[in-house]
This record gives sequence, structure tokens and C-alpha cells, in this order.
Amino acid sequence: MLKKTLLTAASAAIAFGLTLGGANAAFPEKDITLIVPWGAGGGTDVFSRILVKNAKQHLGVNINVVNKTGAMGATGMGEIAQARPDGYTIGTITFQLSAYRNQGLAPLSYRDYSLIGLINQSAGAISVRTDSQFKDLKSMMDYAKANPGVLTAGHSGAGGGWHLALASAALKADVKLNYVPFDGAAPTRTALLGGHIAIATSGIDEMIEFYKDKKVRILAINALERHALFPDVPTVAEAGYPIEQPIMDWRGLAAPKGVPADRMKILIEGIKKCFDDPEFQKAATEKGFLLTWKGPQDFEKFLDGMEKTLAESLKAVDLYNPIK
Amino acid sequence: MEFDFQVFAHAWGTILSQPMLIFFIFVGVTAGIMVGCLPGLTATTGCALLIPFTFGRPPLEGLLMLIGVFVGGIYGGSISGILIRTPGTPSAAATLLDGFPLAQKGQGGRAIGMSTVASFAGGTIGALIMTFASPTIATFGLRFGPAEFFALALFGLSMIVAVSGVSLLKGIIAALVGLMITTIGYDPLSAVPRYTFGQMQLLSGLEFIPVLIGLFGISQVFRNIEKMGISEQVKTDLTRILPKFREIWATKVIMLKSALMGTFIGSIPGTGCDIAAFSAYAEAKRSSKHPEKFGTGILEGIAAPEAANNAAVGGAMIPMLTLGIPGDAVTAVLLGALTVHNFQPGPIFFRENLDIVYPLFAGMILAQAILLVVGLSCARYFARLVTLDPRMFTAVIFLLCIIGSYAMRFSSFDVFLSLGIGAVAYFMEYYRFPTSPILLALILGPLAEQNLRRALQISHGNALVFIDPVNHPIALIFIVVAMAALVSMYLRMRKSRLAELVRERETQN
Repeated sequence: MLKKTLLTAASAAIAFGLTLGGANAAFPEKDITLIVPWGAGGGTDVFSRILVKNAKQHLGVNINVVNKTGAMGATGMGEIAQARPDGYTIGTITFQLSAYRNQGLAPLSYRDYSLIGLINQSAGAISVRTDSQFKDLKSMMDYAKANPGVLTAGHSGAGGGWHLALASAALKADVKLNYVPFDGAAPTRTALLGGHIAIATSGIDEMIEFYKDKKVRILAINALERHALFPDVPTVAEAGYPIEQPIMDWRGLAAPKGVPADRMKILIEGIKKCFDDPEFQKAATEKGFLLTWKGPQDFEKFLDGMEKTLAESLKAVDLYNPIK
Repeated sequence: MEFDFQVFAHAWGTILSQPMLIFFIFVGVTAGIMVGCLPGLTATTGCALLIPFTFGRPPLEGLLMLIGVFVGGIYGGSISGILIRTPGTPSAAATLLDGFPLAQKGQGGRAIGMSTVASFAGGTIGALIMTFASPTIATFGLRFGPAEFFALALFGLSMIVAVSGVSLLKGIIAALVGLMITTIGYDPLSAVPRYTFGQMQLLSGLEFIPVLIGLFGISQVFRNIEKMGISEQVKTDLTRILPKFREIWATKVIMLKSALMGTFIGSIPGTGCDIAAFSAYAEAKRSSKHPEKFGTGILEGIAAPEAANNAAVGGAMIPMLTLGIPGDAVTAVLLGALTVHNFQPGPIFFRENLDIVYPLFAGMILAQAILLVVGLSCARYFARLVTLDPRMFTAVIFLLCIIGSYAMRFSSFDVFLSLGIGAVAYFMEYYRFPTSPILLALILGPLAEQNLRRALQISHGNALVFIDPVNHPIALIFIVVAMAALVSMYLRMRKSRLAELVRERETQN
């Protein structure tokens, strides 16, 4: 009995000592893990890896990427939310987080995280093949209006950002399209190139190579302003279909809720330095990632707005099914 | 685009003059074989794990190493498939049909030797086709739309006949179970989760690798336990480990045919080495003079899938390099690696970065030769594994299966999943239901279902698109071939069954 008590006391003392030691030691003292909720080699993965490539210079420790995939990103994002809030586990959160609850998929939202920063916002592109009869968005919409439901529009998944982006533009123009969901952006693009669908709605970075090679024509981009890499492509508003808040794909970094404020401060500053790294800026721009920095407060405001916009679009395509 | 022999010769010069490059291919192939033969670690995982090591090195070194991992990983999967009936990678699932029975006869070395040579032959043919015909094949791959994919999946599902074993009915029942499993999870077409019962873990469906491990590995563990102490220990014939040249030469036609099929199937974006392997196995069985021997442990049954899945490696690279479209999961990771090194694969890359593209081709061919050397020199050591005491060996397999199902996405849910599937698979085999059709259905189910719905959506509900000779001739051809294969297999099976019945009656009289 005595032995047991002693043992408990000893282990309590050790634990206490460890806690004290932890609090006193400089953060970070070991490598940080970055959970990426999407597969290796995909857009989010490449983006995350180039962002934290030089972390050692900016934070003093390496940031190691771990891919935890599955459940439309909900596995990885759930894991970030449930990680031990000591600042050594952070993660990349992506667009889907704005729709999980409202689509009834997973009980996750931005409220489950201590936000670090919004880093990338990708615009959507509405593309056709170069040999298509449609030279601009208006001619396409006019044709679709005269022939409701005839044009096939491929997108990367029902309820996904690009589906909703085109659907909300079409809704504004009172046009009916025949939406064909594919399992991701790559198959959508393949189907467009192969002539199996008439229109593709996707992220702009998915089309960059084929645009340069003059295999696809981008009718409009779904953003507030033109993209530097596509100076001659109008925005949806410029093409004649004004929308107040375009739906954009976004990627940002977050830690689990409850990381101590002093550690959050170090993380935010370190990630901001990674963001400002000229090497990252160059690599990201070349790959078509539209960069933007929003700190925690602005990020939260942005996510709040995005959730509301998406809820409206989901209602418009009959996919609104919120978790109570 | 014309093939530029001068640049290609120069590329060989680059590779052969730099021992470091050859060394990295060697490291890649060896690492690939190791990763591949561990259940649960696939070529995809291997490549993804090694990407960080390619940062900060010249791009060619890193990329060649990854290609080595790809080539070695697809081959390595067959080793564990043959020895412990647990395919290290999904593409080796067809190899175990004949590989494991051979190992049980004490001829594991022969089976691995055959698999090595077939992988080498198939891989080389695939790499050569990739080198000389990439642009042409890539354009053809684009003609695959939803209707064509559905027809291809249907063609693939007709292979059930070939992997059903004794009872076709039981094979079909097993396949239907597999098809039902694939409907679990989030449906990307309707954005609705199906059969998830509110469980987040089920949202992306049953993870493929844990199911694979359960179907083959865990169920084998249970069977080993059942037989423990009763059955004789496997005795490996150590005097004759590798197959004779004559035996290998006898499979040359099968290897060539399978390699061509493999390259073609691999080059269609969205299909992969696993479908290639099953199709080649079924075709080899169909065209064989003695189809009934398939599944009992014959070398043809190893040569066909192994030649096809390694040829499919070359095939899968084609759309990735020429169009920037990954052919399967591994090439998607490779695509990411290229991007990290600031290359953007696609038509422009393929035209303007010949200094990278051609050495990749040359390296791929070289990787096959390295594979042959490494594989053959290791086969004899691997072959001895089976002679270990089953009480020890089974425990190790069990541990490997648990680790493998966990490692895919570090999830203990997946461990329980594979244990559960293993128990089901054990009883299915107890009642003589074959488990391979489940696997085939798991691979092809999503391809078939999604593309069926997609094609119908595009055609506004007109089901005749699949047999439209004007707009979808490829789809029509696949469906006709699938039907023909089904009918011819059925007739042959009935004939042999009748002959058997006649024999039985004669012995009774």
C-alpha cells in the first residue's frame, strides 16, 4: 500500500516537473507536425510542403508534413481539431470545412480550431475546349438559355466549391445546365480534353498548363479581380454576371483549439515568415496559387462569411442538410 | 511529335556516365521491393514517404529514385502474395492465385523467380512502349469518357468467371458482396453519404488496403491456426530454387500478350496496375489449353499478372508525362514530386523538357534490369521463409497484417475493419466462396457505378450510348469482347463439367 502511494507521489512529482519544464522551455523545442488532410501529390499537399519547406530558418525547427486522408478531408481536419493543444501539431484546413456541417457530412467547423492564417484563395475557372463554339461566357449562357439542360458541365464533386460556383452563376443568369460530377479535378479536366463534356468548372490552377498550351479556353474566372497569370480572361462579373461574393477555394493553417496564447503567437509569426519567404512566394505563384494573408481575426471573419454564402448556394442546388 | 533518337542516346549517356544516378535507381528499386512486399505499404506510400528526401537534390536523382520505388514496389507486392498469401500491393492480388499454391508445394523460389522474370519482361516492354509511343497513346487515352470507362469496368467484371474457381454462382455472389461494399461512403455524384450510419470513419468508404489485408492475410492467419499441429510443414526444395530457362521460355507468348494489355490498360487515366493484372490473368486462363490448371499453382498464372502489372507502370506514366494527368495513385504522387521540383508535367513539359523526360525513360528501362538482378539474387532467401515453423511464421504474418492495416492512414478503425473482414473471409472460404471476386468488385465497382451514372447523365438518360457504334465505338468493342469472353468461358466450363460427369458415371458403373 505504502509502496503504491509512494509510486503515485513520485509519478505525480515527475509529471509536475515535466509540466513545469514544458512551460519554462522555449517553444518550439522539437519538430512540429503539419497534418495535411488530402493525399500526397495533390494541390493541398504540394502547397503545404512548399510553405513549410524553410520552416527551420523561420521557426528554428522543422515542420514535417503528415498526410491523413479520407472522408473528404474530414479525417485529417478532425484529427487536427482533436490533437493535443501544445502547438506541436498543426494542420492545413481547406475549403470543405466551410461546408461539412451544412451538407450534413461531419460535425466540424472553423469554430473547432485556433486559427493561424488564411494563405491561399483560388479562383474558379469556367473552361471549354479551344475548338468549342463558345468564345465568351455570354455566348455560352445565351445558348444554354435557349437550350435548357443540353450543355454538359463537368465539376469535381457535387456540393464542392466549383460546382456551387458555376451553379450560383447559372442561377443568376436563369440558365439550366446538365451537371456531371467527376471524382476530383483531374478526371474533370481529362473529360473536357477528351470532348466528353462541353464545359468544365474547376480551380484556375488546374487549367494553367492547358491554357498555356492553347488546349482550353477559359471563358471567365470566378473572382473579384483578374488573375495575373491570365490577364486576358475576364471575371464572371466583367463577363456580365455580377455576383457579390464569389465562392473561392481556400487553404489556411490552424492549430487545435486551446493552444496557449504565447505559443499561438510564435506559430503565427513563424508561419507568416514562411509565407513571406521569397522562395515560397515564387514557387506558389508559378503553380497558380493565389496568395493572400489574413491573420486569425480576419480569417475567422472570412470563414464566417464563407459559411453563410455556401449555405445559400447549397440550398440553391438542394444539398442543404445541416447537422443540428 | 517525332521521336528524337539523338536526344535519347544522349539521355542514356547522361545516366550511364553518372554512377550516382544508377545508385539512386538501385536504392529506389531495392526500397520499392521492401516496401512492396510489406502488406499495407504500397508503392504509393513508398513514393509519398520518399518525396521529402528528393528535396534539395538534383531533380533527376530524386525522380529516378521514385520511379525505382514504383517499379520495385509493384514487383515486391508479388513476393508476399506468393509466400504468405497477402498481396503487398493491390496489383499483386492476381499473382497469389497461382503463386501461393506453388509456395505451398514448396516451390516458392520458382514462383518468385518466375514473377521476377515476368516483371522484368513486362516492365521492359512497357517502358519501351512508353519511350517510343507516348504521345500517340496519350491521345487515345483521352477518348475514354464515362461510357468507355463503364464498358471497360464491365469487361473487367467479366473476369469474375476466371477467378471464381469451382462454382461460378458462388463467384458471382462474392462479387455482388464486393459491389455492395463499394457503395458504402460518400457518393461524389450526389453528395450524399450512403450506409455510413453517421460514422465519420465510413465517410470515405471501406479503405481498400485494410480490406485487402483482411480478405487474404488475416483469413490466411485464421486458416493457419486451424491447421496448426495437424498439417505437415511445407518443405521447400532447396536444390532447385529458380525456374529453368525452358519453363520461362514457355511463357514468352503469355508474357508478351500480358505486357501489351498491361501497358494499354495502365495508360488509360483512372485505371491502374491492379486492373491490368486481373485482365491479363483472365485472358491467359481463357486462351490456355488447360484452363482448369489455373489456380492450382502453375507458372503461367504468375507470368501473366506480373508481366501486366509491371508493364502498366510504363503505361501509367504516359498520360502523366504527356498530359499532366495521373494514370493511377502512384503517378499522382510522382506528379506531385515533379511539381515540387518546379516542373509542371503536361504537353509543354513533354515538348520542352526532353532533358528530363528522356533520362526518365532511360532510367525506367535501366530500373527493370536492376530489378531482375536484385530480384533473382534475393529469391532464394525469400523462398526459405516458408520453411519456418508455422507457429512462429503465423504470428509474424499476423503482426505484419495488423501493422499494415494500421499504417495506411494511422487508424485503429482500419485494424478492426481488417480483422472483421478477415473473419468473414475465413468463413466464406470455409463454405467454398472464392474471395478474389470480392477484390475484383472492390477495384471495379466504383469505376463501373460512377461512370454508368455519369454516362447516363451526359446522354440525358439514353442507355443506348454504351453500344453506339458511331460515337462510342470503344465502349461497344469492350462490351462485345466481355460478352464473348463470358460465353466462351461458360461453354468451356460446361464442357469440362460434362466430361467430368461422364467420367463419374463410368466409374460408378
